[in-house]
Amino acid sequence: MNSRLAAAAALLALLSSPALAQRPDASTVVVAFGTDAQTLEPAEMNSRDTMNIADHIFGSLYEIGDDGHLSPYFADSFSENTDGTEIAFKLHPGLTCHDGSPLTAEDVAFTFDRARDPANKFTGSTPGFVLTSLGFKGTRVIDPLTVGIELNAYNPIALGLITEVKIVCKAPYTKMSRVQATQTPVGTGPYRFVEWVKSDRIVLEKQPGFTLRHAFFDRIVWRVIPEASTRAAELMAGNVDVITSVAPDQIDTVNHSANAKVQAVSGTRRMYVGVQMKPIFSTPGGIAVRKDDVRRALQYAIDVPTICEQLLRTSCQRATDLVNPPLGNPDIKPYPYDPAAAEKMLDAAGYPRGANGVRFELTLQAASGRYLNDHDVVLAIAQYLSDVGVKTNVEFMDWASVFLPLTRRHEAGPLFFLGTGGGTWNPLYDMADFADVSSVTNTPSWSDPDWFSLWPEANRKQPEVDRQKVVNRMLQVFHDKGPWLELYFQPDFYGVSNRLAWQARRDERINLVGATLK
Amino acid sequence: MIAYLIRRLLQGGLVVLGVTVVTFLALHLGGDPTYLYVSERASAGDIAAARAALGFDQPLSVQYLRFLAGLLHGDLGTSLTYKTGAMGVVMGFFPATIELTLSAMLLAVGLSIPLGVLAALHRGTPLDGGIMVLALVGQSVPSFWMGIMFILFFGLGLQWLPMSGHVPVLAPLLAGDVGQAVRNLPQAALHLILPAVTIAFFSLARNSRLVRSSMLEVLEQDYVRTARAKGLRESRVVIGHALRNAWLPVVTMIGLEFGFLLGGVVVVETIFAWPGVGRMVFNAINQRDIPLVQAAVVTLSGVFVGLNLLVDLLYAWLDPRVRLA
Repeated sequence: MNSRLAAAAALLALLSSPALAQRPDASTVVVAFGTDAQTLEPAEMNSRDTMNIADHIFGSLYEIGDDGHLSPYFADSFSENTDGTEIAFKLHPGLTCHDGSPLTAEDVAFTFDRARDPANKFTGSTPGFVLTSLGFKGTRVIDPLTVGIELNAYNPIALGLITEVKIVCKAPYTKMSRVQATQTPVGTGPYRFVEWVKSDRIVLEKQPGFTLRHAFFDRIVWRVIPEASTRAAELMAGNVDVITSVAPDQIDTVNHSANAKVQAVSGTRRMYVGVQMKPIFSTPGGIAVRKDDVRRALQYAIDVPTICEQLLRTSCQRATDLVNPPLGNPDIKPYPYDPAAAEKMLDAAGYPRGANGVRFELTLQAASGRYLNDHDVVLAIAQYLSDVGVKTNVEFMDWASVFLPLTRRHEAGPLFFLGTGGGTWNPLYDMADFADVSSVTNTPSWSDPDWFSLWPEANRKQPEVDRQKVVNRMLQVFHDKGPWLELYFQPDFYGVSNRLAWQARRDERINLVGATLK
Repeated sequence: MIAYLIRRLLQGGLVVLGVTVVTFLALHLGGDPTYLYVSERASAGDIAAARAALGFDQPLSVQYLRFLAGLLHGDLGTSLTYKTGAMGVVMGFFPATIELTLSAMLLAVGLSIPLGVLAALHRGTPLDGGIMVLALVGQSVPSFWMGIMFILFFGLGLQWLPMSGHVPVLAPLLAGDVGQAVRNLPQAALHLILPAVTIAFFSLARNSRLVRSSMLEVLEQDYVRTARAKGLRESRVVIGHALRNAWLPVVTMIGLEFGFLLGGVVVVETIFAWPGVGRMVFNAINQRDIPLVQAAVVTLSGVFVGLNLLVDLLYAWLDPRVRLA
């Protein structure tokens, strides 16, 4: 009898032990997200989730602030030479690497040169997008606190691109093996790396002596919880402070809980239906949608606000062109939902309804599960187009093996549903998807001369006010004749603990340095 | 016996090799995975450079031969996702899955045998009906739903048990840190309860039905009647005579089930954020991380082949009429 009582008491003690309550203490903030980090080597990173963690471990010369604008970080200032082919950054004095060594211009130069070195075979976004888009030529150490970044030609979005390059220190990174660099990074930012338990958690601790930013929390724990319902349950129980990608059908549940609320932000990801302009689809529909007036008619056929309200559970920021607001052309208004106008325009374009009520048929290709409620959104779009006589058949494909390669090879279509990340700091960054006809990001193979002839003018070194005028002209061209049926900027839903003072950003970045307890 | 073992091991090696060929071809049939490992804004030149760096610019035959050469040296390549040795990554995930699978198996076997025997001994009674209804529910309710219900009820509602995550015991044990393993044990047990019960429920249901039908068959045999006629106690008849002979199909099922569970617990590992090998393989397939999938396949098929062999040996031990030749 006594042993039974003892066992029951032990069980009760275990069940009520403080260790069971997994609530973070006042000095720790816990974030739960869906997928594990890929690597903690800055030159190998491609995913936003991984970069969000790395942004706390490493710093950059300039950064994109919480307001979406560029601001100084490791560099106090910069200056350009007369033709804009070299940007000299003046580093903030007194910076140190996490191994204790001083951070100098040598380290910055090493970071850029190391990422670019083909011998390293890095495949991350820094060597595989940033440096090539930058037109990176080389580096020059001007003095211990001044480094020059040399470019092949003037680049109006160079500063923004440079924010993506995370600075590493030469001393530790020349000693570390490749595996050590991916698993146990030696950082330069406000938090230092402590532990990575794969598919479970990454733990960071405040770096003593880092004075550029004041971090409130001593520890940040990034937990990997793949299932959205489990993430939401952990948030509502008070075990995590921030969760990403709250499913729309769980928003009300979280909002009604005692511990958390959902923050909805209009993200920077541009959602659209791409129209293949390359003459590879010879069906009547494939030919019809290459005409500007037909595409314009289809814009009126889709009820975007209703799609947002009903399927995404929020009122979206409508897209009027391809640039994130407020950087776009303020005079352009979104296409209204007006199916009668769409039908009239299609009649006028020479595509009347046939005896069966169909004007022409189209295939809308998409991958399911990639974007917020994309499956239902695609079906709704197809139905809206079918309602105006454009019979639209949906073809769902595997993202990795079929859809992504098709879009990258410019062979998707005639219609395809896609979302492309954008920025908040310069319209040219968003417009660069259509920097030239053959660029990989020009998935619809658009070649309109009115658009492409304006690029040299837009890229010229000039005051930003003048550049914006050219940009506005280009965006009007895109609105009138572009290869996208413009939909919305994807809303992002974050679940945030009531104890936390933190504001979600538009650009999918999670910056916890400024987060505090309420 | 030795000759049998050698022959089976050689056959097992061929099976593993065959599995790698099929996996390799299946993964490459989906096209070039390079697109998943470059920025969405990468240029054609960037993509070509990445393709060369990842080795996907080589003909398939060359890529497979490189893989085989690596396999012979115990090097299964570098994970495209984690940028580190693929075999090391797989081995890192294995202990968590073994902890989960073993716990679930112990729970399922420990309960299914007495339940199956009870149901067989009380055939046609409400007790038998009740156990069979439980078995039906266990096999009918999808594990993802049951897992989420457990989380909401025991985790969020009652707050009795952790809803997600893993506290390791086996990993520190394998690393020689016995103290850490012991310290982790109470929390590890608490974290294990919900996922292990979720997995065990399905196996429990299936195995109890299997034990019941096997026992019913054996209980009709002449030697059971003889044992009872000799005046043996019922418990001796059931455990010593009937159950021992009813074991064979159950042992086969348990052995194979363990192999399946090692790679097939992906749903439960996902729901409970359990950092196991099933979830890892699922993500690797989605990410087309070919070296990682290959390393996992080699390991899992090796375990599967080993378990099959073990089951055959166990068969011979349990039933002396079975001859291994």
